[in-house]
Amino acid sequence: MSIFLSYTVVGIVAGCVYALIATGLVVTYNTTGIFNFAHGAIAMLSAYSFWQLWQGWHLNAVLSLVIVLLGLAPAFGLVVERVLMRPIRGAPIDLTLVVTLGLLLFLVGVANLKWNPNQVRNLPAFFNGSGFRLGYVLVTYHEVAAVVATIAIAIGLRLLFNRTRTGVAMRAVVDNADLLAMAGGRPVRVQQLAWALSCSLAAIAGILLAPIARLDILLLTLLVVDGYAAAVIGRLRSLPLAVGGAMAIGLGQHYLGGYLTSGFLSRIQYVIPMIVLFFVLILLPQDRLKSASFAGAVAPRVAGFKSSAVWALVLVAATALLSLNLSGPNLRTAASGFILALVLLSLMLLTGYGGMVSICQMTFVGLGAVVMGHVASGGSLLGVAAAVAACGAAGFILALPTLKMRGLYLGLATFAFAAVMDQAFFTQVFGTGGSLAISRPRIPGIPTQSDQAFLILCSVVFAVAAVVVLAVRRSSFGRRLVAVNDSPAACATLGVNVNVTKLVVFTASAALCGLAGALYGGVTHQVGAFDFAALLSLVVLLLARVGGINTATGVLLGAFTFALFPIFVPHLPSFLQSQFLLTGLAAVSVGRDPNGIGGRIADAAAKLREMFGFSPKPAFTSTGTVTGTAAAVFLEEEGRLVSAGH
Amino acid sequence: MSAPATESSAAVAERRDPHAVLEVVDVSVRFGGINALTDVRLSARDGQITGLIGPNGAGKTTLFNVITGLQEPTNGRVYIADGDVSGLPPYKRARLGVARTFQRLEVFGSLSVFENVLAAAEFRHSWSDDDTPPRQVAAEIVDRVGLSTVSEERVDALPTGLARLVELGRSLATRPRLLLLDEVGSGLNHDETAALGDLMVDLVRDGTAILLVEHDVELVMRVCDRIFVLDFGQIIASGTPAQIQKNPAVQAAYLGADTHAAEGEPA
Ligand SMILES: Nc1ncnc2c1ncn2[C@@H]1O[C@H](COP(=O)(O)OP(=O)(O)OP(=O)(O)O)[C@@H](O)[C@H]1O
Ligand SMILES: [Mg+2]
Repeated sequence: MSIFLSYTVVGIVAGCVYALIATGLVVTYNTTGIFNFAHGAIAMLSAYSFWQLWQGWHLNAVLSLVIVLLGLAPAFGLVVERVLMRPIRGAPIDLTLVVTLGLLLFLVGVANLKWNPNQVRNLPAFFNGSGFRLGYVLVTYHEVAAVVATIAIAIGLRLLFNRTRTGVAMRAVVDNADLLAMAGGRPVRVQQLAWALSCSLAAIAGILLAPIARLDILLLTLLVVDGYAAAVIGRLRSLPLAVGGAMAIGLGQHYLGGYLTSGFLSRIQYVIPMIVLFFVLILLPQDRLKSASFAGAVAPRVAGFKSSAVWALVLVAATALLSLNLSGPNLRTAASGFILALVLLSLMLLTGYGGMVSICQMTFVGLGAVVMGHVASGGSLLGVAAAVAACGAAGFILALPTLKMRGLYLGLATFAFAAVMDQAFFTQVFGTGGSLAISRPRIPGIPTQSDQAFLILCSVVFAVAAVVVLAVRRSSFGRRLVAVNDSPAACATLGVNVNVTKLVVFTASAALCGLAGALYGGVTHQVGAFDFAALLSLVVLLLARVGGINTATGVLLGAFTFALFPIFVPHLPSFLQSQFLLTGLAAVSVGRDPNGIGGRIADAAAKLREMFGFSPKPAFTSTGTVTGTAAAVFLEEEGRLVSAGH
Repeated sequence: MSAPATESSAAVAERRDPHAVLEVVDVSVRFGGINALTDVRLSARDGQITGLIGPNGAGKTTLFNVITGLQEPTNGRVYIADGDVSGLPPYKRARLGVARTFQRLEVFGSLSVFENVLAAAEFRHSWSDDDTPPRQVAAEIVDRVGLSTVSEERVDALPTGLARLVELGRSLATRPRLLLLDEVGSGLNHDETAALGDLMVDLVRDGTAILLVEHDVELVMRVCDRIFVLDFGQIIASGTPAQIQKNPAVQAAYLGADTHAAEGEPA
């Protein structure tokens, strides 16, 4: 009984923290229509700031708390609103996703720079961890504070939303797409309040959570991300549902964790929120076929077969030439660049063409690496084939329940999958901190084992894959893919089974990751769980977006900038010496352009062609264009708040 | 198809026009508190243009969505040819020969005009046993709807009127038996509208059935064989163009029909 009671106590406390997190997310989502993926990082940063003030600079605890909760956090919220969120109000979901994911990565990068992650820090619980006995169970005052704070905040928010003008103005508009677009027209003050409030809520959650868990940048960020599940239970809108969901998850997690103590099952405890998130997303009613996608509105021209083949040859030849002058580590770095480019290529297929976002590509890569390592004692072509097949199958299975999702929900679901695989699969296979030895694939008659040969192999694989992906895009299936992305509704009414198309492309994309995974282990001959962490899938997505998600040039650019990073580092100003920080920064700036850097290069190339008289463009005298009129139709209908025509 | 025998035979008994290629029986759609459609009955026949008119917000587009399967009705059934398609997903209905255009454009913006039509022809190629090369079909159709001069243009750079024609061409590429046109003429100038009218007359001569939603009353009266009038989600009249023009209920609903026509598309 006392055991049950103790699980109940920790469960309630965890539930309260989840509730605070979910509440913060719901506040911004309701008011601005933006799902703030960076919420976890804001909470983490707040906990660290609090530690800095209190433990680092020895300020009074209460004073530090006040400074963080009422000063730093809301101020940060205001800055975020002004700099990042205001410019993207009413923007398509993919842009808000990129910006908030970029912010998350940026903040993790900042924290890594400021607070060296290898140094152990300790954030003590409030009241020195003292408490009272409830039967045989020790309840700390810190835990009591968490519960009291949550109840007080829940009541306070309820009053705010129901009793005050500002609060009513902040309430749900996101149900209705047209109203949502009008959220762009809301008084700035209301939006500012929402961001400030949300950041303070994140700060409370982070500060309460850190002493219970551990002051660790990634751990804390991901623990807060666990709270997103509760927000999704509330369909990102309902505070009561979110709070209820939070309690259910917190309690469920600790009861299960408490009673399932045997090896593997005990690990499940940590991924329960993500499992819940995944299944709730499946059960949530989704938007009907709608035309909103992750890919750029105006995609660059697709390279023809000849030009892509020529570029592929040039790439391989240049790599071969360069490889003569590179040292071992640099050869390996370059090889890893091509492998990363292969992963980004899988995103070009899935996201750039198919419009489906995925935050689990590195999970497939990891799966591919594991299969490669285990089949035929590693290093065989059979292993490569098995890796491709296994990942294709995994992609197929993951796609089945997520087919109907788009945008944010698909992003969350794939991220949840990645997070679950982190804990439940990779740490099992590799053991915590362990690794798996993997050889380079042996191809009869062709040298592949030296660093130089392996680099050339990787460049060939990428070049061939890129030519194939581009050929697919130009094929009839490619047209179908782009068509499904541009307008699923039109495709359906033209006889296309949209789901089958998506299933095929999801499978193919995962299989491509499997290929990358089969090579991945060959770079350093071993892989560990961190190589495939969910956070890296996020990095990969942002890199693809920054480089340009629908051009092979962009893919290569994104991959190599990241892969070659360790080589640049010594030449960069110190504040830029974080891959996460830089990627995040790039995402919130360049990543706003859906076609990324690659798209700009393609634009420039098109202009050049035009200048020299290729592909003349007939000019239109007419005024309205499709996009213009869509806006006009929208404005016309905004007046009566309807969305017709779908 | 999958409906239980008893239910479908009961439903069949409700049909009044068993020769119609399309028959909508007692369809109702509610959005929250709004009754977008209430017990709508309507039919369309092979080789005829059936008009569907009504003021803004009458429920015309919603009815198209119900027919094509994009909107599940709260009530009622839809028959295409001889079958009850009420439970079928949109793509299966399309394969039975239903095609449509969208009032709020649903073009494939990142493809060229030709590719838009080509894609549709390829779709059809993949599910029908017609072996005509899709490129040939597409070339013919681009020509037929009068888009050959812009066939290499990306569609999201086109003026709206032309983009509507792209949608028309795309739907023709599936060689539909029943074609639903939702204000396909808006955004076109006088000559282009006349050409569109001729094209429709041509199409029905080949046996296609057209259900036409159009604010241009003149065009509707000229080309339609029969007209249904929808107002606040209910069919308030049906008949020949001459009958409709004389109908007092229609005149009441349409008082100021000209202003509606003007509102149909922003200038
Ligand atoms: N998805 C939706 N959600 C809620 N209400 C809707 C939706 N779609 C349409 N409506 C409502 O249903 C009614 C009928 O709309 P519909 O677009 O079918 O009219 P319409 O006859 O096509 O009008 P128009 O001439 O302006 O195109 C309107 O009152 C509209 O507000
Ligand atoms: Mg309409």
